[in-house]
Amino acid sequence: METIYENSNEKINNNEDEMTGDSKWIQKDAADQNFDYMFKLLIIGNSSVGKTSFLFRYADDSFTSAFVSTVGIDFKVKTVFRHDKRVKLQIWDTAGQERYRTITTAYYRGAMGFILMYDITNEESFNSVQDWVTQIKTYSWDNAQVILVGNKCDMEEERVVSAERGRQLAEQLGVEFYETSAKENINVKTVFERLVDIICDKMSESLDSEPAMLAGGARGQRLTEQPQGNSNPNCNC
Amino acid sequence: MNEEIDEYEIYHQDFTTVSDWEVFIARIEEMLNEWHLTKSNLPKLTLNTKKWVCKSEEIHFQGLKFVLSYNTLEPDKSTERTDVCDEKTVLSTLHNGLWQATTSFLDDFDGSPFPVSNWFGLKRYLMLCPSSPLVDSSLLKLIMSSVNIAFANVECGVPFFVKIREHWQHTYLGFYEDDSYKISYDTIHLKRISNQCSHLSGLVGLFKSKIASPVALDAVVVSTKFSYELKDLEAYAWKKTVHTNEFLSIEGFDVKKLTDLPFGSDRNPIQSLLLNAIWPRFREFTIVDSSTFSDIDPLMAPTWTITIKMRDNINCLLSETIGKMMNLLDNHNLLMDTLGLSRSLGLLNPLHKITEAPITISKLVKAAMAQSRNLSDFKGPIADDLLMPLLYYIFPDAVEDNTFNYPEQLEVEFKQVDSSDMKLCNYVKTSPESGLVWRLSVTAARLHDAGGIPYLAHLWYEFVQELQYRWERHILVPGVAEGVPNARTCLLHQKLQLLNCCINRALENIGSLTGNSSEDEFFDCSDDEVIEDQPLWDRPAGRLNKLGDACLKNGEPLYVPKTQDPPPKTEDQLEEDAELMVRLGDDARASELRARMMSASLLSDMEAFKAANPGAELCDFVQWYSPRDWKPDDGGSLGDRMLLPGNPWVETWSVARPVSASRQRRLFDENREAEQVLHFLRSRTVSGVAELLLPAILRAGAVKALEEGVPGGTNTVGGVDKRRTFEIAARELYEVEKDACRSLCVRTVLGNSIEGKPLDAIERAKILNAAGGALPVPARREFTLRVKDAIAPQVMRAALGNDMTIVGAFTERTVCL
Repeated sequence: METIYENSNEKINNNEDEMTGDSKWIQKDAADQNFDYMFKLLIIGNSSVGKTSFLFRYADDSFTSAFVSTVGIDFKVKTVFRHDKRVKLQIWDTAGQERYRTITTAYYRGAMGFILMYDITNEESFNSVQDWVTQIKTYSWDNAQVILVGNKCDMEEERVVSAERGRQLAEQLGVEFYETSAKENINVKTVFERLVDIICDKMSESLDSEPAMLAGGARGQRLTEQPQGNSNPNCNC
Repeated sequence: MNEEIDEYEIYHQDFTTVSDWEVFIARIEEMLNEWHLTKSNLPKLTLNTKKWVCKSEEIHFQGLKFVLSYNTLEPDKSTERTDVCDEKTVLSTLHNGLWQATTSFLDDFDGSPFPVSNWFGLKRYLMLCPSSPLVDSSLLKLIMSSVNIAFANVECGVPFFVKIREHWQHTYLGFYEDDSYKISYDTIHLKRISNQCSHLSGLVGLFKSKIASPVALDAVVVSTKFSYELKDLEAYAWKKTVHTNEFLSIEGFDVKKLTDLPFGSDRNPIQSLLLNAIWPRFREFTIVDSSTFSDIDPLMAPTWTITIKMRDNINCLLSETIGKMMNLLDNHNLLMDTLGLSRSLGLLNPLHKITEAPITISKLVKAAMAQSRNLSDFKGPIADDLLMPLLYYIFPDAVEDNTFNYPEQLEVEFKQVDSSDMKLCNYVKTSPESGLVWRLSVTAARLHDAGGIPYLAHLWYEFVQELQYRWERHILVPGVAEGVPNARTCLLHQKLQLLNCCINRALENIGSLTGNSSEDEFFDCSDDEVIEDQPLWDRPAGRLNKLGDACLKNGEPLYVPKTQDPPPKTEDQLEEDAELMVRLGDDARASELRARMMSASLLSDMEAFKAANPGAELCDFVQWYSPRDWKPDDGGSLGDRMLLPGNPWVETWSVARPVSASRQRRLFDENREAEQVLHFLRSRTVSGVAELLLPAILRAGAVKALEEGVPGGTNTVGGVDKRRTFEIAARELYEVEKDACRSLCVRTVLGNSIEGKPLDAIERAKILNAAGGALPVPARREFTLRVKDAIAPQVMRAALGNDMTIVGAFTERTVCL
C-alpha cells in the first residue's frame, strides 16, 4: 500500500501543477468552497447489492447495469439545497467484500449518515444487515443516522425479500426504510433527501439541548428554524 | 413633518409615513401587528410554564438604536391558540397579576429579561430598550408619545414599557390603556434615600397622594422585608483541602498526589449572606415606623429566610488547571524550543511544512547523531529526584517495585453503556481509564500548573526519549490498550497503540529470524498433497485453510491464503488519506486513480492467492474474494462486472506474481511507522501537545467531578471541531465545579432548610447565635403597599438600601362619568 500511496501522492501533485493553468479546475475548486454545510455520507452493504449504481443514479442521473466492483472506497460529491442552505454531500461508496471491512470501516468515523443497502433478490445480503449495523455502532460517531434501503425493486420476479420483512427489520433497528431501484430511478433521490433531513433535524436537536454551551461558537449551524416541538426521545443510535 | 421632503421619496414611498417620527411609530405598529398583539387578537395565556420567550426587533430613531422586544411566558403547547381574550379579561388579568405579585418581593427573580414582570406580576410585556441611556427629557417625551400613539393605533393588548435613564438604574416607564381605564407603571430611582420616603409612614403618605381617588380609602395593606447582611461569614465559610504544589519539594514528594486532580474553590464562593425578616401582611396602623420612632423588630417577624448571594466568578482549582492547558492552544512554538532542543533533535521551524512530511533516513541519522552529541548532557528544569519517580509512575514496568503497575486489562469504555448513567464530557475522546495516557496527561497538567511550559516540555521530552528507548529495544509501552489504533480513543493513545504495533511486529520479525518459522509455509500443504513432483519454485506456499469444498477451475481444491493485514493507521493518517482522495476530485479519472491507490491490499492478496493456489485463474480468486462476482457454470467463470474492460481486478491480477504473504514486501513498514510516531510526538508545537493531552485531562477531570458528587449530564455534542469540543468540555467542567462548590457551601450554611423558605425555630436560633445574638442595621428594607379602591388595585413598592427604588402601578378611569 505504502509505495503506491506515495507514488500517487506525487502524481496528484503533478496533476495539480499541470492543471493550475486549466480554468475549469480552478473554477471547480472555487465552487467547492461554495456551501454552507458539508455532510459526509457512506453507502454500505454486501457486495453487488448496487451501491455504486445507486450513487451514480443520484449523482450523475445515469445507470449502467454493471459497474466495476469497487476497489476499497470511492466517493462522489453532490450539492443540494435544504432549508435555503447549500449542503454539499460527500458520498463515499464502499467495497462490500468481506476482505475490505478493515479498510472501509476506517472511514466510518466522521460520517454523519449511512445508507445501508441490501438486494431484494439476494437473501444473504438481507441477512447481513444486522452485521452491518453492528459495524456502524462500533466504528461510527454516536449520532450518525442510518437509512435501510432494499435495492433492485424493479426485479420483482426475482424478489426473495418481501418489502414487509424489510419494513419490520427497519422498525426493529429503529431506522427508516425504502425500497429503491437505481435502474428505474425509484426512491433514489428520496433516500438521500430524507437522510439529509434526518441529519439536519438531529443537528438542530442537539443544538437545542445545548444552547448555552454552543451559543458562542456554533452559531449559524442551526438549519431548521422551527422549534423541535415534537418530543422524540429515542434516537440513541 | 416639518422636515424637508425629498421628492424622490414621495413618489416611491407611502405618503403616510414621511417623517422620521412617523416612520418610528409605523415601525412599532408594524411590529405589534406582526406579533399579533392587538386586543382583539390576543391569545389567552392559560397555564403557563415558567419559561420566558422573547421576540425582538431593532428600531432606529434619530440616530439612536432601540430594541423592541415582546417578552412572554411560554404558552402551554397543548392549549395553544384556543380562545382570544376580550378587553375586560385583559385588564382583569393585569390587575389580578398585580395583586398576586405583592406576595413576592422586588429583588425576587422570575427569569424574564427585565424585572418589570416580577414587580407588576406581568405574564407578558413589551419593552423598548435604547442602546444608550435615555436621559434627555424632551426626547423621552417624544418617544413616550410615539409609543402611546402606536399603542392606541394598534389597540395593543400588552403593557408597553420604555427603559429610561442610566441602564443600571433599572428605571422603566410603562402603561396600559383601554377604552375606559389606564394603568401607569412608574419607577423612581434615587441614588440616595430621601427623608420623606425613608420610613413606612412617609411611604404610605406618598402612596395615598398618588392615588387620585375621590373616595375614602380602606386601610393600606403592607408587607415588609428587612434584610440583614451577615458579615461574620467565617462561621459558615467553606473550606476545602487546598492543593498546593508542595509535591515539587523533595521532602513533601508523593507521587500519589499527582494522581489526583484538584477540585473545588480556594475562596469562599459566598459573596453575601442575607437574613430576611418578613412580615407578609399587616395593616398600616398596626406597626409604627416613622422618622422618629419604629417598632419594627426583626426578632418578632413571622418569617425568616436566608438569601445567599454567590460570587459570579469564583476560581475553581480543577478548571484553573484545565484553563492553563487550554491557554496553550494558542501557542504555536515548538515545545522542544522551550528547552532549546529543537535543533539538536533535528526539528525544523514549524512554519516550514516540511516537518509534516515523511522523514527521511538521512534526517533521522542526523537527528540521532545530534542526539548523541548534545543530548547526553541535557539537563531539564525538573530535578532528577523529582523526575525519576514521575517517570516510574508513568512507566511502572521500568522498576521492580510494582506499586503503580497498570491494570492487566485496559478497557476502552464503549459508547452508550447506559444513557441514564452518570456522564460528563463523554463526547471527548477517551483512553483507557488510569492508563498511561491518563497518567501522563494528569501529571503533565499538574507539572504545567506548577512550573509552566518548561516543566511540561521537560516531561514531554523525557516521555518521548523513553518511547524512543523502548522502540529501539523492543519493549512494549505499558498502560496502552492492545490491538490496532482504536479511533474511539484519543489521538495520543492511538499513536501509542501504533507504536506498540510496530514493536510487536519487530518482535515477531526477530522471532521468525531466530526460529525456523520461515519453513512453516512449506509444511502446511504437505498433509494430503503430493508435492515431490512439483519443482520447488512452483510449490504452493502460504496456505491458511481450504475454502470448504470449493475447487479451482482446474479441479484442485481452493486454498485460502495467509494474507497481510491492511496496515494499522491512526485517525490523522486516515484523515490524510481521505483528504488525498477527496483532492483528486470525483470524476472517472480520479476514481480510477483512487482504485489504484486502494489496490495495494488487493495486489498483496492476489499474490498470496496465486502462491497458495498454483495455476489459479482470476475467477478462482473471485470465488473466494468476491463470491457474488463468480458464476459456477463451466467450473467457474467471472460475473459481468469482472469482465468490463479496464477493470482494476483484471489489471492487478495480470501483474500479480505468486508470492506468499510472508515473502511479500510489507504493507506495514514498522520501522518507518515507529519513527514517524516518534517524530510526530517530538515535533509537536506547544498547542499540538496540549491537544494531545487535553482529552485525557478533561476526562480525568470529569471523573474527578463525578467522584465529588456532581450530577452527570447527558450531553452529546458531535461534529464540532477539536478545539470547540475542548472548550465546551472545559466550560461544562467549570460549571459543575462551580455548582459543586456552591451547593456544598449552601448546605453548610443552611443545613436542612432551603434557601428562600422560612426557617424553623432551631435554625433561627442558630443563625441568631452565629450573628452574635443581635442583628445589625438592616442593609435593605422593602415595603409593598397595596389597596383596592373603587376602580382597581393600586400598588406601590419601595426598596431602600444604599439607593432607593420606588415602583408603582396605578389605575385610573379615563372616562368622565
